[in-house]
Amino acid sequence: MEMKEKYVLHAVSSSVGIEENRVCSFDKRDQTFMSFRVQEEGILGVHFQQGEMGDEEGYARARRNLSLKRPYPYEMETGSRSRDKTERVLTDRQLMEITREALEHLSSRYPDFTFNGGFSQRAMYSGQENDRGLNYSYRDCTTDFDLSFKHRDSRELSDGGFSIGQRDFDMEKLYAMADNYLAAYGTLLELPDEIIVQTQYYGLLGYLTSNLNAESMSLGTSLLSGRIGEKVFSEQFSLAHDVSENECWNIPFFDGEGVTWPGDRLPYIENGVVLRGYADKRTAAKYGVEHTGSAFRSYADIPGNGNVNLRISRSDKTIRELLGGRLTVVPLRCDGTTYNEKGELIMPVQMAYLSDGERLLGRLPEFTLVSSMFEIFGDDFIGVGSDQPVFNDKSILVRMRLGGKEN
Amino acid sequence: MYRFPEDLFTEVRIEKKEYVHYYILNGEVEANTQSQVIGALIRVFDGHMWYTGTTNKPDEIQQEMDNLAALAQRNPEIYDHPAVKNFGCNKARIIKYDGANDVRAVTPEQREELVEHYLSVCVDESIEELRSHAGNYISTHVVKEYYSSKGAEILQDMQRCSVWVGCAFVVDGITTWAGKNLQEMEFNRLLGREREILEERDRYLEYARNAVDLEPGDYTCVLSPLATAMFTHESFGHKSESDYMLNDKTLREEWVLGKKVGSEKVSICDNGGMDHNGYTPYDDEGNAAGETWLIRGGVLTGRLHDSKSASVLGEGVTGNARADEYFSVPVVRMTNTYMAAGHDKPEEIVGGVKDGIYVRDIVCGTGSSTFTIRPGLCYRIRDGRICEPVRVNVLIGSVFQTLFDIDAVGDDLEIFDTFSCGKKGQTVQVSAGGPTVRVRKLTTN
Repeated sequence: MEMKEKYVLHAVSSSVGIEENRVCSFDKRDQTFMSFRVQEEGILGVHFQQGEMGDEEGYARARRNLSLKRPYPYEMETGSRSRDKTERVLTDRQLMEITREALEHLSSRYPDFTFNGGFSQRAMYSGQENDRGLNYSYRDCTTDFDLSFKHRDSRELSDGGFSIGQRDFDMEKLYAMADNYLAAYGTLLELPDEIIVQTQYYGLLGYLTSNLNAESMSLGTSLLSGRIGEKVFSEQFSLAHDVSENECWNIPFFDGEGVTWPGDRLPYIENGVVLRGYADKRTAAKYGVEHTGSAFRSYADIPGNGNVNLRISRSDKTIRELLGGRLTVVPLRCDGTTYNEKGELIMPVQMAYLSDGERLLGRLPEFTLVSSMFEIFGDDFIGVGSDQPVFNDKSILVRMRLGGKEN
Repeated sequence: MYRFPEDLFTEVRIEKKEYVHYYILNGEVEANTQSQVIGALIRVFDGHMWYTGTTNKPDEIQQEMDNLAALAQRNPEIYDHPAVKNFGCNKARIIKYDGANDVRAVTPEQREELVEHYLSVCVDESIEELRSHAGNYISTHVVKEYYSSKGAEILQDMQRCSVWVGCAFVVDGITTWAGKNLQEMEFNRLLGREREILEERDRYLEYARNAVDLEPGDYTCVLSPLATAMFTHESFGHKSESDYMLNDKTLREEWVLGKKVGSEKVSICDNGGMDHNGYTPYDDEGNAAGETWLIRGGVLTGRLHDSKSASVLGEGVTGNARADEYFSVPVVRMTNTYMAAGHDKPEEIVGGVKDGIYVRDIVCGTGSSTFTIRPGLCYRIRDGRICEPVRVNVLIGSVFQTLFDIDAVGDDLEIFDTFSCGKKGQTVQVSAGGPTVRVRKLTTN
């Protein structure tokens, strides 16, 4: 019996560009991505369309692609739900006016800096429906002000940058962030003896995420292979896929196979203990593990494995409380940061600030930090604060060591 | 043809891209897709602001153009604007890939056979450390049209295809991926490369079994042609992209043409006309590719431009305005960038090192004043001989110093087509090249 399913992503973005302290461009994109999917006798035919297409033609084309014989013998899901996180939609004119106002403010307050970047708004709709009755949809609208800055005397192409993402744009938050980053630039400081890195944690999580892939864990190519049920990380470290109301940001609560979880949350590591790896239905069947609703939406093919929105559980304490008077290092430019195959982290830091956890105090010289996945989320993990200083977003506190021969 | 609005500069770029991806992981087909996208970018410039829109419907381009023009301020002097003067007004038709060499003619069976054949060559189940294996085939074919209110009418195509096969070896719980990526402009050139795949697999297997950690510090490094290619791209290539320095007094003084910026053995060139991965006969502002010598004999002789940067800096356009997708605006990018061959013999270059590192393969890199290179395969050099494999996490250098530290340049120039380059959120295809070189000091961590 034939089953039909459809993905739709409609994204409208408007961007105002800033180049060397001038508003220089306005870009508008209105993009629709559609994926028509016909399942018949365990085979999925898929048609991917950029731009709109009627259902009749879309499904007819998907049906023709059954000839590619893409195996997909899994039941389609049911369920009906929608979420709309939209708080405010700026007009293009407002976007332009806000950019001009912010730029004028920053240029007059910090005349020694050149600013590049821009202000953008993205409104998106993501929907998934099938003829078993599944009907999920998600809407969101977010703004991002991204600015890189360069001091007029600097030989660097850029000295650093900051960005603020919001659903209800608040200029005062942008100005407060800019003051924090720019006022401290002229002060040169030395590295403290104890190095506690404060940063948004998404970059640090990337390597751990790849090691939680259930396929790698099953094949023995993950550093976490054979360690399910074992306490590998810090007692304070818990990690979950989280697409609940508070944690979604342009990401739907359903995966590419229409799977959702109670509370829109599924833990992977709890109090340091590894609970599971992530698997879509196909990976789960292949390796005999549980499927975790982790399929990403492949618009041109069968779903793939790896759609996780991992979040570290927050501490009850603020960043300042977690620090207890200690200072932090906030890397702004750390090009070349990498994990090696042993899970060791090498972070060459070209530009960083010293901070008390909330206020940036001054600039640090270039240095390189080293650590490892097991240390960052293990003994050296201090926590993720309950508040959002410096980044207007969650930040992690973690101890690291200086790299180099002398260490 | 389009009704271009008066007193505004307007351009239209239409792209038709056909993309194929076949991917097999541990014996299971993970991806088998063929897709086609048609899209257009329309830009209007009034002398102060650019207004940009996109559409997937070519028959709506005129409407989109009219909408954008309504936002702009009419400017009767727009064609006297220095940047607008630099936009190309060429008329050209360069279609190279619509005959027997067209990758779109490759059948699903051909690409599957190719991947499966190379996997059968690479995957030897008797290797006890082997845990996982994968292979893929990717091809893209793009036809671009470019029209502007200055009269440009350009039709050009480009294509590339690649096959990658790899194995994961696990030794003492550490996973090392051994992969060989072959990329060409035509499918036939991907055939008959079994030896390269086997050699690479065996090198990585030996590395997985025997590599030892290198003590962090400063080392004399001999870079293979592949490593030099990345070094060239990261250490200097990005510095040559002039959109970073338009009105920046400090950078303009730092990178003034005629300044000595490296050893006299160093010459670096960018050329979008070469039949390599960065092939760009006309850029996305309608300007023809040129051969641009960035450094000659250690002296800064040129830089890469789009229409705007050339006008601000008072230099000529170089055909380096590139966009990665139909919906992206062009920015200054490298094309095919290489360090020119020297006269030294590679074995003599290694032979002159008492204690150092030979960097054979690379993973990725970053480029600013401090550049970084993540190496793949490295070996210790002792008394002029390449010895045991060593694990090196990252190589770090300063663009202000490292080019001066090059004291030998080999005669074995090679160009590599497996590079892509990210900047301002866009990823464009480039090639990079170079010969074996020796750098007196790079820092490892």
